[in-house]
Amino acid sequence: MADTPQESAMKAEQEKPRPYGTGYRLIGHDYKTPDLIAKVTGRSKYAEDFRAEGMLFCRLVLSQMPHGRIRRIDASRALAMPGVKAVLTADDIPAQADFLNDNGQTIKANQWGERALTNEPMFFGAPILAVAAVDELTCAEAIEKIDIEMEPLPFVIDPLESLRPGGKNPHADGNVWTRGKSGEELTELKWTDADFAEYEQGRLPMGKPMGEWSYGDVEGGFRDAALVLDESFVTPDVSHQCLEPRTAMAYWQNGKLYLHTGTQSTYQTVPAIARWLNLRTDQVVLISEYTGGGFGSKVTGTVIMIIPAILSRKLNAPVMMRISREEEHYIGRARPSVLGRAKIGFAKDGRITAIDYYTVTNSGGYENNDNGASSAGIVSLLYQPPAMRWRGVSVMTNTPTRSAQSAPGGLQGITIIEPILAQAARKLGVDQVALRRVNSPEGKAEYGPPSHGQRTHVTSCFLKQALDLGAEQFQWKERLARPRRVGSKARGVGVALSCYVGGTIGFDGLIVITPEGRVRFHSGIGNLGTESVIDVHRAGAEVLGVPWEICDVVWGDTSKGMPYTCASGGSQTTHAMTRAAYAVATECKQKLKEVAAKSLGGSPEDYEVGNARVYRKGGGAGLSFAQAGQKAIALGGIYDGHEAPDDVHKATRAAVAAVAGQGLVVAARDKAPRDGNTFSYVASFAEVEVDLDTGKYYITDFLAYGDVGTVLHPHSLGGQMLGRSTLGIAHAIGQKWVYDPEYGAPVARRFYQNKPPTILDVPVNMQWAALNIPDPETPVGARGVGEPPVGGGCASILNALSDALGDDNFERAPVYADTILASYEAGRPLQHPLMASI
Amino acid sequence: MAVIRDVMPAFDLLQPESAGDAQKLLQQHGSDAWVMAGGMDSLDWLKDRIKKPGVLVDLSGVEELKGVRATGDGVEIGAMTTLTEIANHPGIRKNYGLLAQAVELVASPQIRNQATLGGNVSQDVRCWYYRGGWPCYRAGGNICFADTPVGRNREHAIFGANRCVAVHPSDSVPALIALDAKFVVQTSGGERVVDAEDYFVGPEDDITRINMLRPGDLLTAIRIPAAWAGARFYFEKVRDRNVWDFPLMNVASAARLNGGTIAEIRIAVNAVSPRPMRLQAVEAAVRGRAADADTGEMAGKLAVEGAVPLQYNAYKIPLMRNLVKRAVAGAGQPQGSSTLASNALAQEATCRS
Amino acid sequence: MPETDNLRTEEGPSTEITRRRFILGVIAGGAVVGAASYRILAPGGRGRSFGGERLITLNVNGKPRRVEVMKQETLAWTLRYKLGLTGTKLGCDRAECGACTVLVDDVPHYSCSLLTNTVRGRKVTTIEGLAADDGTLHPVQQAVVEAQGFQCAFCMSGFVMATVGYLKAHPSPTRTELAHGISGNLCRCQDYMKILDAMMLGAEKMRRA
Repeated sequence: MADTPQESAMKAEQEKPRPYGTGYRLIGHDYKTPDLIAKVTGRSKYAEDFRAEGMLFCRLVLSQMPHGRIRRIDASRALAMPGVKAVLTADDIPAQADFLNDNGQTIKANQWGERALTNEPMFFGAPILAVAAVDELTCAEAIEKIDIEMEPLPFVIDPLESLRPGGKNPHADGNVWTRGKSGEELTELKWTDADFAEYEQGRLPMGKPMGEWSYGDVEGGFRDAALVLDESFVTPDVSHQCLEPRTAMAYWQNGKLYLHTGTQSTYQTVPAIARWLNLRTDQVVLISEYTGGGFGSKVTGTVIMIIPAILSRKLNAPVMMRISREEEHYIGRARPSVLGRAKIGFAKDGRITAIDYYTVTNSGGYENNDNGASSAGIVSLLYQPPAMRWRGVSVMTNTPTRSAQSAPGGLQGITIIEPILAQAARKLGVDQVALRRVNSPEGKAEYGPPSHGQRTHVTSCFLKQALDLGAEQFQWKERLARPRRVGSKARGVGVALSCYVGGTIGFDGLIVITPEGRVRFHSGIGNLGTESVIDVHRAGAEVLGVPWEICDVVWGDTSKGMPYTCASGGSQTTHAMTRAAYAVATECKQKLKEVAAKSLGGSPEDYEVGNARVYRKGGGAGLSFAQAGQKAIALGGIYDGHEAPDDVHKATRAAVAAVAGQGLVVAARDKAPRDGNTFSYVASFAEVEVDLDTGKYYITDFLAYGDVGTVLHPHSLGGQMLGRSTLGIAHAIGQKWVYDPEYGAPVARRFYQNKPPTILDVPVNMQWAALNIPDPETPVGARGVGEPPVGGGCASILNALSDALGDDNFERAPVYADTILASYEAGRPLQHPLMASI
Repeated sequence: MAVIRDVMPAFDLLQPESAGDAQKLLQQHGSDAWVMAGGMDSLDWLKDRIKKPGVLVDLSGVEELKGVRATGDGVEIGAMTTLTEIANHPGIRKNYGLLAQAVELVASPQIRNQATLGGNVSQDVRCWYYRGGWPCYRAGGNICFADTPVGRNREHAIFGANRCVAVHPSDSVPALIALDAKFVVQTSGGERVVDAEDYFVGPEDDITRINMLRPGDLLTAIRIPAAWAGARFYFEKVRDRNVWDFPLMNVASAARLNGGTIAEIRIAVNAVSPRPMRLQAVEAAVRGRAADADTGEMAGKLAVEGAVPLQYNAYKIPLMRNLVKRAVAGAGQPQGSSTLASNALAQEATCRS
Repeated sequence: MPETDNLRTEEGPSTEITRRRFILGVIAGGAVVGAASYRILAPGGRGRSFGGERLITLNVNGKPRRVEVMKQETLAWTLRYKLGLTGTKLGCDRAECGACTVLVDDVPHYSCSLLTNTVRGRKVTTIEGLAADDGTLHPVQQAVVEAQGFQCAFCMSGFVMATVGYLKAHPSPTRTELAHGISGNLCRCQDYMKILDAMMLGAEKMRRA
């Protein structure tokens, strides 16, 4: 249906960028988050900063084999040492049980899933036992007295090697993941020699896939194309390397487990712990006020954190398990490498006519993590091909457990596709920005394969505006006009589109208005420093019309009552929990009016809320929030938490019960409608300068321009825009694993070998901006932002490099000086083909 | 024995206050003693529990080994002088800016505040197999894990391999070789003063040692003769990350020009061989030639003659060729005798201009 | 709450073993450890002690602190686990991340890579020692609060200490110079721009103070 002229004009007005904070008192304005003073004075306590009376210490023993079976453990000499308290092995770990998820579905235990300790380590560095003692020195001395007899088993590090005819399997059950009756199953897949015919030329073999989908006329798209490119590209395995290792401390009191650890999601981690330990959720208290980084590796903590809990129960004493940096490298999770190949057809103006995309994902030693599959959906959204096919296979290897890492699949898909777009623009003589513009999604863009004949669409997309404004701010045209070569220095500019999911719906909020007149938000969000744990409640305060100064946020301790909250992963928190805050604040206003009406007469509709009061419209009698809090306690029932609304989650009801009687207690569920799925978008721009004599290059400028909905908190948004761009950039400039395939062991174990970026590896004046156009499908209009900048960070650097060096220099990220120099000398890509971990 | 890292094993800590006492202790404890200067290399070995000396002799309290002193012929730098002190020392910056440049590109500011010149030149190789505790030749075994058809050897040697293909990782050493520095070593047989390049031991001579120090020996000072004060210097380090990382390669040259021609020159490169390399053939070939691009090209090509790449480090050949080219041609470029800040800073300033 | 005041030099549950070790260490050390100035007079023929602790005095945040330390103990370990100064973080324990940066005689050092026994008699300043006794924040801390520098903040105290140390010697850096000055600190949230914003503001505040 066509819009009327008035509707069109209104829509155009709504879809215009605006200064942050426009129309709001709190939203979009910077403020000081309540955790800052503790952080900056060193008083903030992370898991390892706790010391409990009588605390014991434990350290892990990690497998020194990539795959093996424990035959015998002789710990007698260790246990005989003074101060040694216990040795824990896989036999002490509860068996994985099926469990019920939030939707009441039974999730089958994954027989190939990772356990806290194992008798069949699937990778070098997998934890096989733990020793508890009075101090760490004693643990270490004891560990060196333990004899472990292991039977070596076949192992494979490289996914393609496993797919070769006669290639080894990482596990007796097979090497690839398939979707079976009860979920993911491991099965065997070998390709033919013919599939590998072009391996040496660096072309990804495309044997039988385990998953595929398509839409549109792919072959027709290639027939109609003015240019067809077919390129392979390898993305790296990259460890999360959170600065805080995943240390955990546990003790038991009155049958309850108290666990201190770092996690991305406070509320959601409790069910995970309960499941791993076969406990009820009400038997677990999680304390996690501060977490030193997650990036997808600590969505609900990590299974090893149950080790101190089990030891503590066994020894009846608090137990601290400190995880060292090297251990963190093995158990701290990593992004899977994706080997990708894409055939893309382009019309003369650069418009994509079809994409045929194949991925091989290195999924690691335990659960499936098919980032190749998730990358395909992102590709279909971000470049809007009219026809697309994806095929892929996810391969188990004897390498550390993978997990989501900022934009899982998104980073890889964008990194594989963008260099092909850059090449096409050069070949077609089309400006790089213009080529992105004709392919960029817009409005309620569709993506992915059809399901029941219908493709899914997004809530909104204003990426073209971000691209245009970004190009202007970056002075794209002026940069193109500058000399590209000065002496041995070559300059290049790059642009990339980027996006990732940006929000879920349907979670709960919880507010208490205390008899002292404070407005207390209960936040089940983890505190990773993205500040969503606090920021989303600004929307609640905005709705309630209260000054921020009378608001408190309770977070980081599940004994204090946490409403049903999303996991902080998939950039969903800002969107989901702003909605929940909006819902509960709206309900809170209603409850305030009801309390006023019950106390002062009239009906709730006669009252309004403002200035920390509820008062009769047009002036007259009213209650301060403090009085309302007191009245609510007197009224009891639904007003002070002795009863909870029926439509909130059971966890929220438990939280309401936990705070009952403390004031006006209001819980509500987000039921706001949404048409489409929520994504956020970024246009990324970069310039590099390459020294052709050494291959060394510097990123000289960078800009990320975001379409992320309403800006909640500019300071924290800026941190996400550039921090996560840099997380992506790290994949372009240096971060990766190095494995010796003969021994199946990592040789790069340290920061100086795995190379997370330093402050001098990025420009000192990186820039960011955001459109601040509200998403029309959510109250307040805020979308998530953590992951959308990641892919563009990486791809813009790669595109700038190929702008400086030409298309025939690299086929793999990261791009180091050695590749640039060797390939530049040879005039062709000089890299060992199709292997990520060199 | 199960493996555990990141807990330092117990040792006896001996903290002498004089070089004489230090040497006495070292001689007394022989191979059971470990000498610690700044500790940046030592603590790494100890925390990995790969080395477990009975006695740690900590030199941090030996004041007489610290500081930069003018001598009749140049300067003497105590082995325990920190890299930061050297980088900031006005006399070094004025006359021996090459060394200031080199040490300023080491690791990170905090490491330079702690690491010493003696430690930097005496540090062990960084081959990731060897440092990971793999039982290779250098560790006393009988295999090299890096030099196999699939061994990961991007950072390894193109010259001087002899069973071991690790490279020497120091940034200060090429500068010291180019400056014709002398290393002062106290041995049981008395004091020995050796040329910088002779301090180092290649695998062909002793695969388990990286320098001439034997148990009981102590490096006390490094002397830089006045001969090269205020010469034309060139230093460049290529590394992956701009902080912390060891060199993929570095180069240092010191030259005296006569008009436009090279009268005298010393060139050294590191991270190409188990021993730091002085390029004497190149020095001889460019002497008397113009310090220009042509000579640089010639020098670069000559420098890499005989290089043998491994599976993943062929890039080191053009890299060395180009770095030597620059170090020779760069000698013709007028340049302040002291550097304002680090090379990286200058490079970044160039980039941003 | 299990959290206790950590300001003690003995670990409760370890008393037995640490005491035993301490005694062992003393016995093994004999006259050597007893020598008042720690000057070693070449005793020879000593047995190997097992992590023996001995009482030393440190100057931390302007106060003398008596503490028993093991010979192989690092300053980070002593600060965190013996003195309860847990603001100093261990991110890598290998001089590769900077989270443990403290000032020793006003110069930034990685406390993970200094033996505690080497800083006797030197002035150690940690993040806990920056604010004034009345709680007034140091200008660099104040700047971090105002600029909302940092995300997870596990690197924060190291960055703040590195900055304070750098600014003492270089009060008016450019943004690029400051980046070099604090380049020995890793931020895995990669919030480098906001950190530089905050620290440049801190430099300005220090100059004004």
